[in-house]
Amino acid sequence: MAILLIFLALLAITLINVPIAVGLGIVAVGAILLTQGVEMLPNVAVGMYNGATNFPLIAIPLFILAGAVMNASGISRRLVAFATALLGFIRGGLAMVSIGASLFFAEISGSAVADVAALGSILIPAMKRRGYPTPLATSVISSSATLAVIIPPSIPMILYAVMADTSVVQLFVAGIIPGIIGGLGLMLMAYRFARIYNLPVERAFDLPHIWKTFKEAAWAFILPVVILGTIFGGIVTATEGAAMAVLAALVVGLFIYRELDLRQLKEAIIEGGVQTAVVMLLVGTSTLVGTYLTEAQAPQQLAAAIAEITTNKWVVLALLNVLFLILGLFLHSAAAIILTVPVVMPLVNSVGIDPVHFGLIVTINLGIGQQTPPVASVLMTACAIAKADIWQVTRVNVWFVGVLLAVLLLCTYVPAIPLLPVEYFYR
Amino acid sequence: MFEQVKSAYERLLEAIVIILMVGLSIVVLLGIAYRSAGAALVWYDEVAAITLAWLTYYGAALAALKRSHIGVPEIIRMVPPAWRVVMFAAAEILVIGFFALTAWIGYEVLVILEGSTLVSLPEVPEQLAQSVIPIGAVLFIIAQVLSMPDAWRKTMAGDTGHPDADRKGLGSEMASTE
Repeated sequence: MAILLIFLALLAITLINVPIAVGLGIVAVGAILLTQGVEMLPNVAVGMYNGATNFPLIAIPLFILAGAVMNASGISRRLVAFATALLGFIRGGLAMVSIGASLFFAEISGSAVADVAALGSILIPAMKRRGYPTPLATSVISSSATLAVIIPPSIPMILYAVMADTSVVQLFVAGIIPGIIGGLGLMLMAYRFARIYNLPVERAFDLPHIWKTFKEAAWAFILPVVILGTIFGGIVTATEGAAMAVLAALVVGLFIYRELDLRQLKEAIIEGGVQTAVVMLLVGTSTLVGTYLTEAQAPQQLAAAIAEITTNKWVVLALLNVLFLILGLFLHSAAAIILTVPVVMPLVNSVGIDPVHFGLIVTINLGIGQQTPPVASVLMTACAIAKADIWQVTRVNVWFVGVLLAVLLLCTYVPAIPLLPVEYFYR
Repeated sequence: MFEQVKSAYERLLEAIVIILMVGLSIVVLLGIAYRSAGAALVWYDEVAAITLAWLTYYGAALAALKRSHIGVPEIIRMVPPAWRVVMFAAAEILVIGFFALTAWIGYEVLVILEGSTLVSLPEVPEQLAQSVIPIGAVLFIIAQVLSMPDAWRKTMAGDTGHPDADRKGLGSEMASTE
């Protein structure tokens, strides 16, 4: 009952365009006033402060900052050059290059929107010049950017791990195989379209040229290997790994590539700070509602209610998949995670779903949500770069989203795919 | 005049956000460096977490100025103009009211905290750390008021005001949590 009332109040407030974070705060104030009295209101200020001092979440601004520094140091251009040398010989080579570069870029960036912005601005105009239909070029860039949230580091994974109180490192590791499968699946789909439209190859396979472009892009590969290696090896935490990524990116930009674009960097730091604050304000005010719901034992009641219908974990997973796919249509992924994960975790635990497995499922679901209008941040960014109509692009993108859905189902019902390396290294 | 004040306010908040983002990186890097050298900094976790809270609320004011907080602007765009006026006014009153309340209770908490200090740095008062709640709330209200005329024009013109539909340069998209 408490969940329903809070949900309805929140819905009413957000429908008039009050930010969701503020709506959560207002609902919490209302709930406290009604049930505990005005003397408990200082708990709102204390809760908002405590909610925002969550140490593991420091990884979010730091990974954003690292990505911004790397972008400002010309890394995208070098990655594209290497991917072109490696994959350009296949029919529809530029589409392959886009997906390949996204796979590499995902290891640096924790954000799919950043991925689209960095690679789309180079590759969408290039594909258009080579005769690719605009909706196809936009779909390739948009869908492959979702790999950024599946392959570590991933900002939605960091948020999930904190909300579900599970290991972010294990979640990072669980994303590796699904990310690679997703990349290969998208390449196959791109190849299908390349044959339909008879798209060109870019250049012959040329080993010396591949070696030359690899050497130029080598730092782009060494950095994530070192950073993720130290995180996976337990030498540093994810938060500290993120700080090291900032330092390493600065060293590469200032002393190795020597082309740090300070104006772009300043803009990206400010926007990174704003984006962090947007998510953290949600975390802060959701803490208030979360505390209230926990005291009312609402998540446990929800778990018990669903357990009366079914305790089959595969059926529960199917229900949760549908829930998150619908949420993904309408909500920013951070908001969806913050609002729902604490509520559904007792259910997830009670039917015996591995929280790391579930975290990966949530991440892929919300990655798909970034591709599906009306609220589709990644697709909208790609369309803005391509100057393309969202619905026209969606007609093509639906095929690529289908690939991501297949990956989601595969990971949902064959848990060994994401969990094999986790079991091998950490359990 | 109004635009000049808004622009100066934006530059001030941007400067604070840059300092906090860079400062946060430096604190965490210092923490790693000292721990690796065998002399772990006792204050590192606490100061980093406080910096994150400051980034949250100073950054939230900047996000309010840019109207970047996550919302659902699609509905207000679809209703008739007369309804838009009512919904817009109600939303602004709710947001400003919530942060006015937060500023007040945040200040009350500071009074209660008189004499408390940080756990790892006994010379630093807890009031300094938690001052971010009332100060951030006041900054948020100012940002909301300064950005109101633009938001009003966009709402009446049927613009979603959605941050993703609104961005100009590519630099801004490089930094996203999605």
